[in-house]
Amino acid sequence: MALSKELLDILACPKCHQPVELRPDGQALICARCRLSYRVEDDIPVMLIDEATPLEP
Amino acid sequence: MHALVTGAAGFIGSHLCQDLLAQGWLVRGVDCFTDYYSKSIKERNLSPCLAAPDFEFVQADLVQAEPGPLLDGIEVVFHLAAQAGVRLSWGSEFKVYTDNNLLSTQRLLEAAKDRPLKRFVFASSSSVYGETPDLPMRETSRLNPVSPYGVTKAAGEQLCRLYHLSFGLPCVALRYFTVYGPRQRPDMAFHRFLRALATDQPIHLFGDGSQSRDFTFVSDIVAGTVAALEGRPGQVYNLGGGQRLELRAAIRLMEEIVGRPARLELEPVARGDVGHTAADMSKARQELGYRPRMELREGLARELAWLKEIYDL
Repeated sequence: MALSKELLDILACPKCHQPVELRPDGQALICARCRLSYRVEDDIPVMLIDEATPLEP
Repeated sequence: MHALVTGAAGFIGSHLCQDLLAQGWLVRGVDCFTDYYSKSIKERNLSPCLAAPDFEFVQADLVQAEPGPLLDGIEVVFHLAAQAGVRLSWGSEFKVYTDNNLLSTQRLLEAAKDRPLKRFVFASSSSVYGETPDLPMRETSRLNPVSPYGVTKAAGEQLCRLYHLSFGLPCVALRYFTVYGPRQRPDMAFHRFLRALATDQPIHLFGDGSQSRDFTFVSDIVAGTVAALEGRPGQVYNLGGGQRLELRAAIRLMEEIVGRPARLELEPVARGDVGHTAADMSKARQELGYRPRMELREGLARELAWLKEIYDL
């Protein structure tokens, strides 16, 4: 199972509920608004606030 | 058909996803991997589905995530995600139960109410009946839950009823009776007992074993859950196994299967545990065509085979 476009289209940041963007390396989903990064682990998007990491300034 | 399955990595949810995929459904699974038991067990549950091209999976918490987008394109919702466990639902842990069983259900219903869903299936539990002298339990019986967990499940059913009445959302609630089989949660009796027997450890039994349960094999529960598509919106259905047995008798059966006598260590009756459960299944039989098939001995043997595999026994 790869991260499909259909799946990407429905993913949203659990904090602000806005769409997220796939990082070019495909390993994380980025919420530019909250400046949070949600990792993609074995093709599974981990959309949990507790496990998100802040983006570098 | 395109389904959303919440709690997709859990005991019943993972079997349901596999069954739907085998029937040609598209399945979107959601699970937040609560820490109630090991994440690695849930990953193992999910692995056959992750290999299927028609399966997509998101790790998300329905208490945080916006459920709306998850419903895009979905025709049927199977809402199985929940905080399980009767005994731990007392005390300060109760908030976990209201969040994961009630708030998540309300958020999903709210997002679903304006969508053209075919069914919204809610996984409830026989624990909504609680302690009752009237057996078998009928859908019309008075609900007297004796655990906070049972209270949250009863409230979840009521929310479904309300969203059906107020918004026409075609909700169907299913009361599952003591489900067992491969992937059963590690805190559940059969999992603990079979594992203890297979490793020659004592069995810790709450009460004296005279409590009885209507044990239901997981494939029967999955068949009944899919059959809920035929259920009348706004209705509740019992799904049992039709094989009510005292726990003591179930242990005797396990002794025969494992080929070793059990050493019992009796513990006090756990608060929240009921004495007896038995499902009246006439409604599910008539309206869903539900027929549980698995015989208990064979079902236990299959659970044992799975336990041997995962624990390398």
